[in-house]
Amino acid sequence: MKTVSLGASRPSAVNFRMPTRDNLVPIRVDVEVDGQRYRDAFTWNPRDPDSEIISFAKRTAKDLKLPANFVPQMLQSIQGQLAEFRSYEGQEMQIKEKIVPLKIDLRVNNTVIRDQFLWDISNLDSDPEEFVRTLCDDLNITDPEVGPAIAVSIREQLYEIASQSVSVMREKQMSKKGRRAPEFSSNSKAVNNAVDLFKYFGSKGSVIRKRKEWYLYEPVVDVVASEEDGKEEAEEESRRRESCKSSVPLIDSDAELQS
Amino acid sequence: MATTATTTATATVTAAAATANFVPTPTPPHPLPAAPPALRAPSTLGPVKSEAPPTPSSSTATAAGAEDPSYIITVPSYSAWFSFDSIHDTERRLLPEFFEGEAAAASGCRGPHAYKYYRDSLIRRFRARPGRRLTLTEARRGLVGDVGSVRRVFDFLEEWGLINYGALPSGSKQAKEKREEAAQQSSLPSGATVPRKLCTGCRTVCGLAYYACDKADISLCTRCYVNNNYRPGLSPANFKRVEITEDAKADWTDKETLHLLEAVLHYGEDWKKVSEHVGSRSEKDCIARFIRLPFGEQFMGPKEDRMGFENNDDNSDEPGADVSKRLHLTPLADASNPIMAQVAFLSAIVGSDVASAAAQAAISAQSRVDLNDGEIETSINSTKEEESSHTNGGSVNDLLKEVAANARAQLEKERNSIEQSLSNIVDVQMKEIQDEICRFEQKEMLMEKERQQLNCLRDLLFTDQLAVMQHQQRTPAVVTECKGDEKPKPVVNMS
Repeated sequence: MKTVSLGASRPSAVNFRMPTRDNLVPIRVDVEVDGQRYRDAFTWNPRDPDSEIISFAKRTAKDLKLPANFVPQMLQSIQGQLAEFRSYEGQEMQIKEKIVPLKIDLRVNNTVIRDQFLWDISNLDSDPEEFVRTLCDDLNITDPEVGPAIAVSIREQLYEIASQSVSVMREKQMSKKGRRAPEFSSNSKAVNNAVDLFKYFGSKGSVIRKRKEWYLYEPVVDVVASEEDGKEEAEEESRRRESCKSSVPLIDSDAELQS
Repeated sequence: MATTATTTATATVTAAAATANFVPTPTPPHPLPAAPPALRAPSTLGPVKSEAPPTPSSSTATAAGAEDPSYIITVPSYSAWFSFDSIHDTERRLLPEFFEGEAAAASGCRGPHAYKYYRDSLIRRFRARPGRRLTLTEARRGLVGDVGSVRRVFDFLEEWGLINYGALPSGSKQAKEKREEAAQQSSLPSGATVPRKLCTGCRTVCGLAYYACDKADISLCTRCYVNNNYRPGLSPANFKRVEITEDAKADWTDKETLHLLEAVLHYGEDWKKVSEHVGSRSEKDCIARFIRLPFGEQFMGPKEDRMGFENNDDNSDEPGADVSKRLHLTPLADASNPIMAQVAFLSAIVGSDVASAAAQAAISAQSRVDLNDGEIETSINSTKEEESSHTNGGSVNDLLKEVAANARAQLEKERNSIEQSLSNIVDVQMKEIQDEICRFEQKEMLMEKERQQLNCLRDLLFTDQLAVMQHQQRTPAVVTECKGDEKPKPVVNMS
């Protein structure tokens, strides 16, 4: 696709990092020992020293009253994921002006949450944590464990996209060494995910979603509670979220009334 | 009201506790009265996020928060600065990574906003269930952010008693262990039961042997060990059997004990020197041994009189230490006074009636001199007690005189040293004041100079203005003369 009419369109190559303000790694641990299973997901700062990993693992095992033979496996898992993250770090990745859809589909304790929204990859100042905090506040999610789970899920998706763009870069470099490849973006999966901004924001499109598409973009939170008919559904301004997190200019809320 | 009563109780205890930057020994008695569990059920198990129900009441030594009748939250006095509305300097100082550097400008996972969010939610979470210890894992699972930062805030809050203060962990022995260790550490200087092994599981004195685990640094008595009465994560293989004998490592020979006593008499509480003097014993061993010697409660102090020993008549030397012949305890209440040791020993040698006579005379002699009340009382008490337990013979008067003279000399020395230190202090203060005065004088001189310079400048300026005006106008000299009188005006305009 040719350049989009949205400001700077030249893809910039930066050193690999999470495309968020804080360069934090999502870590998922799933360890099974002697019939006991421990699953967890959290965010780790790769700048913390490695000694912290060990003490963190020990502390977690102690807090959760897990037997001590969980610790080495946890350690291994965490260290492995960190090592993988670090192996990307030396390389360059290409951030195009991409807006990608992210999906959330989680169940945490009693709460089920489903959502999808657009995220701007090239905004290196984006903050999933803040987004999640706002989301939980707005949707009145009472279980505090939901927030971190969503944050980790967002980060994981971003991480995957970032690592794919590393491989895109590598492909590009390799292909540059050879023949001069055409100027299209390569056909990797990542690009296909990108929203065709031109279609949206071209001359005829408008930033405001059509009302009939709203249901696709509303977050859905279900509390699977045993007592009552706890089905909570929250109507959310998807535009507001989108405009906060992407580089699209803010839309006046009055505009909603018009459509 | 019961709650307020306990409030003040805890307040006084915590006020006595510590200064800033001190790791709290959670010795305050269970600050939660028995009432809370009943009332707690309906109110506070609600979600952490809703702020209304658990209006946390922090009762500290200094502040009196809004009292929530269902439970009381105790905050140690050295954390009285805490408030939900602001970030205190202590926090800024001890957790700089949230406040300085590139994070300061940002929020997100590193930044004052994030710090406040972590801190507030951790504290609220703890206060929702104040009896229960909040674990890091549980906390970080409820907080959006990277676990490293959460852990740092958590540790900070825990250390300062804003979290998990006095809370027992749910069903685990960790708090007990900690209290046990803390109690052991704090009891070392105050002379409690260091050499006795307390089982961390059931808190009874271990008998002949106990099982130590280095993994978790806890020790269990045999019963607990057999019952597997320890927390999960440990297996029986982790425990080692340790025998307890009267003196843990090797028996103290008489000679060593004698050396110990001599050393203590000489060096008082300098355990390093004592252990050197004794030779092959570490400081800890010396202290432990010292406590075990049957002189009673306070182990501060030079060694005691071992009453009723075989009469080592080295009156000039320190009281002989014959362990095997200890007969009676002589609780000498006085601390760090080698004189008392001598007195006690000597009065042991003399008879009871002699000792009582000596005591009387000593009282009168000492009351003439201006002594510490404590010393008088203790000496009287001790001599009275000793007299009731011994029968021997000896002379009195010399004893008496010597004792009185010694006491007086000691007293003089003390007073002199006090005066000396006072005068030192005063000297230092004077010096400081003088330095201040010097500095002020210098500053004044500088100011004077500046003022003069300003005056000069002003004059120059004025002359310049005059010259200019003269050139401009060429009017009669009278006019310019008049302008000279209006000095202030031109200056003001220019500024």
